[in-house]
Amino acid sequence: MPFTDQEILETLRMVELETLDIRTTTLGINLLDCADPDLESTCEKVYAKIVHHARDLVPVAEAISADYGVPIVNRRIAVTPISLVAAASGAEDLTPLARALDAAADEVGVDFIGGFSAYVYKGFTRADHALFESIPSALRETDHVCSSVALASTRAGINMDATRRFAELVLETAHTTERAIGCAKLVCFCNPVEDNPFVAGAHTGVGEPETVLNVGVSGPGAVRSAIARLGPHADLLAVAETVKRTAFKITRVGELVGREAARRLGTVFGIVDVSLAPTPAVGDSVADILELMGVERTGAPGTTALVALLTDAVKKGGAMASSSVGGLSGAFIPVSEDGGMIAAVREGALSLAKLEAMTAVCSVGLDMVAVPGDTSAATLMGIIADEMAIGMVNNKTTAVRIIPVPGKGPGETIEWGGLLGTAIVQDPGRFSCRVLHDRGGRIPPPIQSYRN
Amino acid sequence: MARRFLTVEDVRRAAGPEIVTEADTLVTPQALEAARAAGIRIRAPGGEYVEPAPDRGPDAQRAAYALPHLPEPDVDPELTGTGAIVTVVGRNRPGILAEITTVLGAFDVNIENISQRMIDEYFHLVLTVDIPPGGAFPALREALQCLGGEDDYAVRVMHERVFRFMHRV
Repeated sequence: MPFTDQEILETLRMVELETLDIRTTTLGINLLDCADPDLESTCEKVYAKIVHHARDLVPVAEAISADYGVPIVNRRIAVTPISLVAAASGAEDLTPLARALDAAADEVGVDFIGGFSAYVYKGFTRADHALFESIPSALRETDHVCSSVALASTRAGINMDATRRFAELVLETAHTTERAIGCAKLVCFCNPVEDNPFVAGAHTGVGEPETVLNVGVSGPGAVRSAIARLGPHADLLAVAETVKRTAFKITRVGELVGREAARRLGTVFGIVDVSLAPTPAVGDSVADILELMGVERTGAPGTTALVALLTDAVKKGGAMASSSVGGLSGAFIPVSEDGGMIAAVREGALSLAKLEAMTAVCSVGLDMVAVPGDTSAATLMGIIADEMAIGMVNNKTTAVRIIPVPGKGPGETIEWGGLLGTAIVQDPGRFSCRVLHDRGGRIPPPIQSYRN
Repeated sequence: MARRFLTVEDVRRAAGPEIVTEADTLVTPQALEAARAAGIRIRAPGGEYVEPAPDRGPDAQRAAYALPHLPEPDVDPELTGTGAIVTVVGRNRPGILAEITTVLGAFDVNIENISQRMIDEYFHLVLTVDIPPGGAFPALREALQCLGGEDDYAVRVMHERVFRFMHRV
């Protein structure tokens, strides 16, 4: 059946004007076979295996992008959590492994490599502990390495000892990397997803195949224009339907690229992560979508309800379009990376408290939020624990990527440029949670029956 | 499963002037370097060592044999070549269609459908074309996109599969 002019022009409009793109093609590589009693040999194997498998990733992505006319913005690698790979070596300092990952990423030309990670929701192994202690130096000494740790899960509860240590590591990273940029590559999770193609949380879980190709698609611009065309008088069912239809089309493009990339690389196609991931570019904003849907400024009353509608409609459209939808899928709200969110914070519409409420229904969590550099470790731990609790109780993935900006107070601005954008430092309030901080221990998991 | 890696440590421990690897063993770059420095020859069972093809795992192996993969939306069984959609947008003047079709003809490309609209002095032109089997899609795209220019017109060529995935179930 030939395509109508409307169909053809719609696709062209989405790609040309509405910045529809494949945000990332991420190659997952299992590194468990690189474990070695000697750390140096482990590093050698890790480097050799990543380069061996990912050498064609960038050329393949470029060729597909040219063949299909759809931009593929980023090429990334996700590896097995390094604490598992390093355990056999018994090493205390895992920075050399971070350097090996960084060198491999450089060699194959990807922009980020995720997987300097550990799962500690129930407790630490020696290797998990070594990984935690190596995080600040790993992020200081590398350019491409991203680190993520799992602090909580619905089945295990929240490891508050790990949360406390993580908060200290965030502060140390903020103070030892230029403009606190290391914190943009450091994230903690409740209920992490093992096939997430998006950094900073990308890693390849132990249930994944030897190698796997995952794709992240994005298109806030396309959803935004579809809602704009719908106008302010359509009812909410029509809004949800419009988001769903647009998400369907975006996901189909992701599926096409994912299948093709996996075929050309000779590996398996894992998942499409259909996420509205904003960029600082004009029009590529999730906040703009919410404002077109019905709030004057993101953060106004009604925002949480609209984020819930948006996230769910994106998931439904994605699930209809592909049987391989996975990852985080939904709406991201990284504050510094979204032009509309930055404006909302600047105008005082979007507070940290409102943002936290929104994370209960968005697809990830507190993302790219700046707080004052002199925020105490206890306060930081409290913010992280609150977010972990939201994920734990609601059976959803939540994450915290928070950036204490040294030398800046509430309301001040920090510019990172590029994809990371601009952040306005937010006020975490002046009351402390010192006693909670000092108690330590674990918050037990929630009961799974009697759910109200 | 063959031995996965050969590292510097293995080269150091080697006794004798050569190491014979197993078929799928990956020799790390550092090990190659160390062997060269020590004058040790690394050899595969069949001859010289060359980096093996990446072993993508059992799932990938199975996927390669389990054809066809997932169904494609709305596939026309008669469609043997590569479909492409060519769109041209710009300021109208005589001869544009001729310039486009000349290139298409030179690449032996069949035009299946063509439509044009005018809005004031601007036009947009949509061509559905079929590139014959073995035809060079990248070269055609390159040649078409070189046409036109600023203040004239712009050509965009996209693979037909993008439209099929987006608009057909």
